[in-house]
Amino acid sequence: MLLTLNHIGLRYNQNRAVLQNISFSLAPGSFHFLTGPSGAGKSSLLRIIYLAEKPSEGNINLFGHDIAKMARHELPALRRQIGVIFQDFRLIPHLSALENAALPLRLAGAREDYIQRHTSELLDWVGLGDRLHALPSSLSGGEQQRAAIARAIVNKPKLLLADEPTGNVDEESAMRLTHLFNELNKMGTAIVLATHQQDLIQRLNKPSLWLKEGRLIAPFPPSAKAA
Amino acid sequence: MTMPLPNTLFNSAFQHQRLNWLLISVIAIMVYLATFAMTIEAALSLLTITWDQSVENHMTVEIPALGDETSMPQPERIKQTLAVLHALPDIQSTAIVPDQETAKLLKPWISDPELAKSLPLPTLIDIEIKPGSFSSAQSIEERLKTVVSDASVDDHASWLSDLLHLIRDLTFLAAFMLFLSGAILFISINLICRAVMATEKDTIELLHTIGATDNDIARHFQHHARRLSWPGALFGFALATLTLGLLSFALKYLPAASNIPAIQWFGLALLTMMVPLVAVIGANLSARFSVLKLLHNMP
Repeated sequence: MLLTLNHIGLRYNQNRAVLQNISFSLAPGSFHFLTGPSGAGKSSLLRIIYLAEKPSEGNINLFGHDIAKMARHELPALRRQIGVIFQDFRLIPHLSALENAALPLRLAGAREDYIQRHTSELLDWVGLGDRLHALPSSLSGGEQQRAAIARAIVNKPKLLLADEPTGNVDEESAMRLTHLFNELNKMGTAIVLATHQQDLIQRLNKPSLWLKEGRLIAPFPPSAKAA
Repeated sequence: MTMPLPNTLFNSAFQHQRLNWLLISVIAIMVYLATFAMTIEAALSLLTITWDQSVENHMTVEIPALGDETSMPQPERIKQTLAVLHALPDIQSTAIVPDQETAKLLKPWISDPELAKSLPLPTLIDIEIKPGSFSSAQSIEERLKTVVSDASVDDHASWLSDLLHLIRDLTFLAAFMLFLSGAILFISINLICRAVMATEKDTIELLHTIGATDNDIARHFQHHARRLSWPGALFGFALATLTLGLLSFALKYLPAASNIPAIQWFGLALLTMMVPLVAVIGANLSARFSVLKLLHNMP
């Protein structure tokens, strides 16, 4: 399995539990929606998966490694195999689209000529070939989203996590993104797409993980949800 | 040390609320104080050594100018004193302090040389004891009193020891000031790093998410600490050197300082040239330590 969560729980300072007893597994190359109402814990669960948060309970097995047993300095190597697309894009404002997208490759120690060539090609693929040197402030919401996607996949991650990727873009951009995710999934990248947009879930017809009040109700196909 | 991330990464955060100017100013002030403290410490240590060496194995015999009950003339009293001294096996050499030198010692109290000359000044004989000798001022005085009953011997120890203690205390104070400068530098850089990290929290979390190590992030803070501390360190050092130059110039014209052994202020300032370098290295390491410590508290 690519990822296995066992009885994951999360609470902050003895307050109400944000997540409770979450258990599921993801196979390599799988595609899942993570859905549920606002405040259900989707973003918190994603943060736990991309190792930005330590769970209060349970354990995580990621790419065959038990995270609890790993030293802090070993985690970056695992994080480099995960791509994350944030709802608010999180592009660094004073770096160009090319520099933003190239960050993971630089951290991985790739050669400069490879970084320039590969990142340019990737930005071209997501439709930003003519905006390579544009700063995020001069890009539209959809363009920023695509630059963020390029950054997330530039390292050819095994797992791609997207937090409400279509939440801040128009219908046309959302359709284009959906197509991009499908293409990436066909290339073997496992995808977890957090969204509360039911039309998107039904359009792609992929299995969903349904969260409610911090609990995983049940993995079920979108048709069951629609019913 | 290569940096995989663009070195402009936290520029805006350092410019935010003029944190870069704050860092430059703190370094400049700390280097100024540290250079000053180090020069004072080195000068005081040098003074202690000089005075220690100048009085070590030296004593002064005083023969009052007024004759004693035997009314022996002063030249005869000096002659007999020297004869006794030369007969002692522990005495290496003797030298009569010229009257002009004796009069000079009174200069701070009696500035008129004619008036000083009219006074019945005692005859002073500087004696050097052989190294390793156990002769005390008291034993020599007892021998001298057999020929000149009012002769006295002073080994300078009593007044000099208080002065040396004072100087040593001041040396420790200067060393403590150096330590304080380093501590304040560390605390200031720690606070500046905290402020930048608070401003750039999202960026740091993003960098972690895309696989940056704590070292990758700390290197950026080190880069900024070095970049900003050099101008501050050089400015503070230049200002301290200028101040010490002026102080050295002022001491030359201060009558009370005439008895202080000559101190090469500029030479000492050159010795302290390592202060800005140490400050830059210190700022660099402080930034690294602070950032790594703060990152360690993040997931």
